[in-house]
Amino acid sequence: MKARAVLFLGSLVLLCSAQLQAHHAFAAEFDGNKPVHFTDATVTKVELINPHSWIHVDVKLSNGSVENWAIEAGSPNILLRRGITRNTLKKGDKIIVDGYQSKDGSKRANGRNLTLPNGQQLFLGSSGGEGAPYEVQRPGVDVVK
Amino acid sequence: MRMVLSSVSLAALVASGAAVLFAQWPAWPTGVPKTPDGKPNLTAPTPRTADGKPDFSGTWNLARGPGRGGAKGKDAPPAPVPAASPEDPPVGQFFNIGAGFKDGLLPLLPAAQQLRAARKADNNKDNPDAHCLPIGLTQLHMHPQPRKIIQTDRVIAILYEAQAEVRQIFLDGRPLPPKDAEPWWRGYSVGHWDGDTLVVETTGFRDDVWLDVEGSPLTNAGKMTERFRRLNYGSMQIDITIEDPTAYTKPFTVRVNHTLMPDDDLIEFVCEDRDAVHYVGKDGKQ
Repeated sequence: MKARAVLFLGSLVLLCSAQLQAHHAFAAEFDGNKPVHFTDATVTKVELINPHSWIHVDVKLSNGSVENWAIEAGSPNILLRRGITRNTLKKGDKIIVDGYQSKDGSKRANGRNLTLPNGQQLFLGSSGGEGAPYEVQRPGVDVVK
Repeated sequence: MRMVLSSVSLAALVASGAAVLFAQWPAWPTGVPKTPDGKPNLTAPTPRTADGKPDFSGTWNLARGPGRGGAKGKDAPPAPVPAASPEDPPVGQFFNIGAGFKDGLLPLLPAAQQLRAARKADNNKDNPDAHCLPIGLTQLHMHPQPRKIIQTDRVIAILYEAQAEVRQIFLDGRPLPPKDAEPWWRGYSVGHWDGDTLVVETTGFRDDVWLDVEGSPLTNAGKMTERFRRLNYGSMQIDITIEDPTAYTKPFTVRVNHTLMPDDDLIEFVCEDRDAVHYVGKDGKQ
């Protein structure tokens, strides 16, 4: 059951960018030069709405303060076809989020990698409009293949 | 290593999702022919209406992969589409409908070329899709989200999951409206039969249609002609010809392949984020 939840969660964010790409380019909203890495994120709200769903998380920063961030996900119809429902992610779930901050500097991000409490890491990279996965390169982090 | 992990995760995710559920409805028989082992028989003959015409009714998914210039999607469904020959039109792509042409270029007039380049350079942020607006018929044909065709002998309705768009194609013999008809996002469509091919002509578009995500233009002077063929139970082929003398030097034709989604149906899609003020263009402005 746990493994299934992991898979659901992974595909949830994996699909973020598939839908994002269907609407506009990654660059129309997020900045590939502003990677974010949240090691202590607690789900506060899940909005399954169109054209993008949002996972809201409370992020505990190293100085002890807490910020609320919104992580963009795919549209509910796509998530549903992959088995992700309103029961998949719950308020209070602990996750680690890697992504890219929005260009306008607000506390929103497009997800890339997500790590669960058991250490399992899932690829959350962007997908093209046709669903074929490709990675948005992080400058200085990822090697261009 | 990262790429390896990615591929493995992706395969697991796709596999996990595929068997989970079909839309929201309980499993229910839909009349799809089955093979002896109980699976949908997508290579069964083309279904026909009472008057013998091909029946295009069904829920359809974009077929990835097949065709000249088509994407080589790794997760392509087993589409029973005949191999494309060099004479066939190139496959239109969602981002660039002209991707299959030489150098990926449509026969654009200079002003249209500038317009398309500006739209693309702005991160496609003004694609109507990003603002919960209608995205036009060619984007809908190439969209990764499904569409459902409901066919009668006098009218065909196509319900698109994307943006919950609706289209009517009249088969009752009515002519197209006059040139000064009120411009519509999806224009006015009439169809007739050429043997087993459904030929649909559409005019009366708005001036600001985006044929693809990158902004290939279509204007009020434009006409679209589609030739629909249901090759067998599970596959449909649409050849789309665009004629628009205000945007293109000559007509061009692209192909779109669709695969039946047996025993599946549409999911509600109501677009709420209409302001979309967070999108920015190349200059960082919204």
